[in-house]
Amino acid sequence: MLRERDPENRLLARGARYRLAGEFVRDQALAASGLLVEKIGGPSVKPYHPPGLYEQVTAGNGYNVYVPGKGDDLHRRSLYTYWKRSVPNPAMLLFDAPFREACTLRRPRTNTPLQALNLMNDTTYVEAARFLAQRMLREGGDTVESRLTHGFRLLLSRPPRPAELTVLRAAYERARVDFERDREAAKAFLAVGDSAADATLNPAELAPFTAVASTLLNLDEVVTKE
Amino acid sequence: MTSDTFQTGLSRRHFLSSTGIGAAALASLMNPQLFADTRAPHFTPKARRIIWLTQAGATSQLELLDYKPGLVTQFDKDLPASIRGEQRLTGMTAGQKRFPVAPSVYKFQQHGDSGMWLSELLPHTAKFADEMCVIRSLHAEAINHDPAMTLLQTGHQIGGRPAFGSWVAYGLGSENADLPAFVAMISRPSGPTNAQPLHERMWSSGFLPSRHQGVRFSSGKDPVLFLSNPPGITTDRRRAMLDDVAALNRLKFDESQDPETQARIDQYEMAFRMQTAVPELADLSKEPASIFERYGPESKKPGTYAANCILARRLAERGVRFIQLYHRGWDQHGDLPKGIKSQCYDTDQPTAALLTDLQERGLLDDTLVIWGGEFGRTVYSQGALTPDNYGRDHHPRCYSVWMAGAGVKRGHVHGETDDFSYNIVKDPVHIHDLNATALHLLGIDHTKLTYRVQGRDYRLTDVHGEVVQGILA
Repeated sequence: MLRERDPENRLLARGARYRLAGEFVRDQALAASGLLVEKIGGPSVKPYHPPGLYEQVTAGNGYNVYVPGKGDDLHRRSLYTYWKRSVPNPAMLLFDAPFREACTLRRPRTNTPLQALNLMNDTTYVEAARFLAQRMLREGGDTVESRLTHGFRLLLSRPPRPAELTVLRAAYERARVDFERDREAAKAFLAVGDSAADATLNPAELAPFTAVASTLLNLDEVVTKE
Repeated sequence: MTSDTFQTGLSRRHFLSSTGIGAAALASLMNPQLFADTRAPHFTPKARRIIWLTQAGATSQLELLDYKPGLVTQFDKDLPASIRGEQRLTGMTAGQKRFPVAPSVYKFQQHGDSGMWLSELLPHTAKFADEMCVIRSLHAEAINHDPAMTLLQTGHQIGGRPAFGSWVAYGLGSENADLPAFVAMISRPSGPTNAQPLHERMWSSGFLPSRHQGVRFSSGKDPVLFLSNPPGITTDRRRAMLDDVAALNRLKFDESQDPETQARIDQYEMAFRMQTAVPELADLSKEPASIFERYGPESKKPGTYAANCILARRLAERGVRFIQLYHRGWDQHGDLPKGIKSQCYDTDQPTAALLTDLQERGLLDDTLVIWGGEFGRTVYSQGALTPDNYGRDHHPRCYSVWMAGAGVKRGHVHGETDDFSYNIVKDPVHIHDLNATALHLLGIDHTKLTYRVQGRDYRLTDVHGEVVQGILA
């Protein structure tokens, strides 16, 4: 154990764990799910954004409506997100991104229910969960365990411990039975986001894996630098 | 301490950087919820909450609250240079050849036992003359909307400082565990009038911890951003998912002992409770028809000032500390008589209805209501002056707002301007004084509510501000 061999951390083998910055939370979800467009440079892009925010606050014809981009524009690194000073990207603000008006010496790292709502419900993360689930099905072998393990590794770079796998397996089984009974709900859940679901995959499998992937994207360890 | 730092999650650094001052730091560690921590004020408060009815764009005091009967004889005469003095004008009128006096086309009448003079544009609000405390001598330095509004909201013309509501959330916390302490709502004018932009910084927490940020309530599907579950996810499915997230996070917590992990478990529970509490709050369908009649024809349209006023009352009922409405569209550089009339159509009846609702529920006794904008308007006409049409430019040297409710004098007028409502002749009140007074009514000494950043203590009033004793009941 590192803590026993080097209790004072003189060898700097470990450090504090802290929550990722908002940009990294999003970029990580895009990268792990395979949605990330790795193009470098170019004009700013407009990813998903709740409707109505510009209209309430801004003036001026043509600039007071946020029109989300299409295709690649939705999945670029957050670095490229269009930034309007009077209405900065709301998801980034929830994760303590500064307004970019005054010098920021240090970003706070808050931990709020609004962040939880964002990670659970923002189209960005529901779509990313579906793509993560697609990777679990396509790349994760043939068993439920191996697929769950693959998704877990893609986000956390480690396999789940037995106790964790037990929770994930139960979650999958419950969602599978649940969506089996309510196929309309499964269909609606898989239709979130601009990208089409992989038609070669069985929705009866994809929906419960997407539900588990969404659970994974909301874990403390996932949004934290260990 | 060094060895402890990495052996337990609760490091010295974590402890110290966790949050603000003294007990608040400890309270936040023990109770790591966003909303549910109340802190004691400095002394017994008169007000437990504030409803700030911000009239954005700068209301004209001459048509609404600052009665100047003598101006009728001054129509189209030049504003005397002795009155105008060396005051700075905006670029919009600085080049005018003349500064012709434009008397209000709207009449004033005395109201209530106090005999307060109020405009015919405010027939509903005027019924509360004996509850109102009008300040006719408010002033500011900023002469353009954005810096002036930023000054009004944050005590400084340049962005980056916390909004009033954030200071209150930081200083007093919330009385409702399921709702934020500071809520902002915005409405647009119904008429074709000049609606100046606002800015998210008006409800920003600035350098305060961002959990004190004002939460913008919208009128759409999600009153709070990202509130609804995605299609296909029912409440039961969300509950089950949250149980899984909590189970996995607890496994992590057992290993790391990081209080942030425990906090995150709690925050997800809070998010779930908000998913019930907020729609319940925003659902006006159970309000009786009499309420919509009281608030007027616009109140059934989501997102209007009238609908937001109903929401403001519901937020007050639920213990939300700082409720800020913005109604845009008061910037009448031209066609003022028409523009201000439609603004009053939007706001007068709902404002009075809100006061009625608060009064009926006994909430006006411990709620401070503030009505007003970021500066006033000039007595001289911007552009052409005719007997029934004119415009008015920005005028921060004097303007009028009113307060009502907890701890302020009733049926009272404070301060006085000259015959042209151009200069203050008695009892000037600066924005800082207004803010200091509002904090005072909340039981906060404005010189003691501080936050250290960039090497010094900051406060809402910075190094300024005097409590206005003359308006305290």
